[in-house]
Amino acid sequence: MRCTIETHELTKKFALQKGFTDFFLHPLAKDEITAVEEVNIKIEKGELFGILGPNGAGKTTLIKMLCTLISPTEGTAYVNGYDIAKDSGKVRESIGFITADERSFYWRLTGRQNLKFFASLHNFYSYDAEKRVDELLSLIGLENRADDRFLSYSAGMKQRMAIARGLLNDPAVVFMDEPTKALDPGAAQNLREFIRERIVKEQRKTVFLSTHHLGEAEQLCDRIVIIDQGKIKVIGTIGELKSDLHKPNPTLGDVFVHHTGKEFKEEMAEHPQSGRRRMVHGMHGGRMRGMRF
Amino acid sequence: MICKKAFSFIRRDLVLATSYKFEFFLRLFFIFFSILTFYFVAKLVGGVGMAHLEPYGGDYFSFVLIGIAFSGYLMTALRSFSESIRGEQMMGTLEAMLVTPTSASAIITLSSLWNFIFTSFRVLMYLLIGILLGVDMSNANIIGAMAILILTIICFGSIGIISASFIMTLKKGDPINMFFMGTSELFGGVLFPITVLPEWLQTISHILPITYSLSGMRHALLQGYSLHALAPEIIALLVFSVVLVPSSLLAFRYAVNKAKVDGSLVQY
Ligand SMILES: Nc1ncnc2c1ncn2[C@@H]1O[C@H](COP(=O)(O)OP(=O)(O)O)[C@@H](O)[C@H]1O
Ligand SMILES: [Mg+2]
Repeated sequence: MRCTIETHELTKKFALQKGFTDFFLHPLAKDEITAVEEVNIKIEKGELFGILGPNGAGKTTLIKMLCTLISPTEGTAYVNGYDIAKDSGKVRESIGFITADERSFYWRLTGRQNLKFFASLHNFYSYDAEKRVDELLSLIGLENRADDRFLSYSAGMKQRMAIARGLLNDPAVVFMDEPTKALDPGAAQNLREFIRERIVKEQRKTVFLSTHHLGEAEQLCDRIVIIDQGKIKVIGTIGELKSDLHKPNPTLGDVFVHHTGKEFKEEMAEHPQSGRRRMVHGMHGGRMRGMRF
Repeated sequence: MICKKAFSFIRRDLVLATSYKFEFFLRLFFIFFSILTFYFVAKLVGGVGMAHLEPYGGDYFSFVLIGIAFSGYLMTALRSFSESIRGEQMMGTLEAMLVTPTSASAIITLSSLWNFIFTSFRVLMYLLIGILLGVDMSNANIIGAMAILILTIICFGSIGIISASFIMTLKKGDPINMFFMGTSELFGGVLFPITVLPEWLQTISHILPITYSLSGMRHALLQGYSLHALAPEIIALLVFSVVLVPSSLLAFRYAVNKAKVDGSLVQY
């Protein structure tokens, strides 16, 4: 039995536009950038797997290759047992893709109209589509605003819509590319709890999530891979990675420095510690329904 | 199933179009103006071009009404596919659509349905206003006209999809669009019969689908030609369709694959 996600030497090189002078000075030089280099990973069913790396590390490129939106230059990958190159249609049937890109909706349609449209692309129509959309709207707690235009939503609501859209086809695997990127710390925290509790624990989905937050990776993921400049530096559970350092009270930041030789620069400083307390509270307090993020 | 999907695209675009209410009604309103312009031009021209107009019933206003109305389909095809694909590429919705099991060919084809429906509505308005202004379509062969209409939409739509593929690949400067935009008015028989052109220029007319669409449409609507008499136009349009439909779908598939290699399905 194959793993849910499996890659073999997966590589992506982008051709860069040559500048006019370069063209004459180095006519034979190949201008390309290796965004993802010989990546090998295996992810089991039901895992919440994180890919951690700074901006430009290659996270989006890797996720989009697995979603069949970017074709690999070399290597192969299987998602749900289907080859992403040869069986891309089957791959798309069984995955959900969630970005932080809030533009990717029709802003002049309502939330419900948007979801129903995308449902039809997953071959859900009329009653089936309505039922599915209603379920998802209640899952993300947006029933009351479903008939307002998308443009009137807050960043958090737009992100929740993106999640609902990614779950329309009840996919076995959900890819999330920096899902908390556009959110303020509080909303980001709520979203993390939602992913952990509702999507992984309740709905038993395999989640492949990218982040450039140490705290997020630490708090959320079963296993992580650290990626830098397109290359995998290390894979393992947070515990393993830390204990491998043989150092008292290691942080994930230390792990990152150890494997990449660089400090991890966080864009938005956050407090994973307080976040963690809130999450524990949330898990016991059962305030998952009607969640706001 | 494809019908339900089509309906879903139409509903999306209808809501988007009517969300700009003012523009929506303004566009309808100006149809009257453009028709009236040609009504008065026809008055001025009178029977001057009689010899050339004879094969189409002899009346310039009727001739130009059909030309303006149905050439609208070509303009729609050339604009709407590339605009919608470019817009969705910029918005990120193209990527969101392409990550579903719906094929790229279905997405591009359905993405312009609403525009064709709107154009058909406009054409109908043209014809109705034309009739009110005295154009005689009492003998029209409706079935023949429908056959020509369907083939016209298929041909023009394919040209539009090829054009959209160029736009997606080259980002700008699409030769297909320029060629058809540039040649159709002069050579396609929109405003005057092609027989007015010197003979050697008429050869260009004969390689353009619009020439056959308009001439077939005029014969069917104004003179009520039988299907048999419409055969030359129908066969020509069929031949164009057989070549253009597969070419357009291949071109679009190529454009999508290239965008997947370049990572340019979504653009900032
Ligand atoms: N379409 C593209 N064309 C050229 N280079 C690209 C393209 N997409 C990404 N890159 C480059 O590939 C590298 C990895 O990008 P990306 O996968 O977006 O990183 P991340 O998501 O980790 O921030 C970056 O250096 C980026 O500039
Ligand atoms: Mg990214």
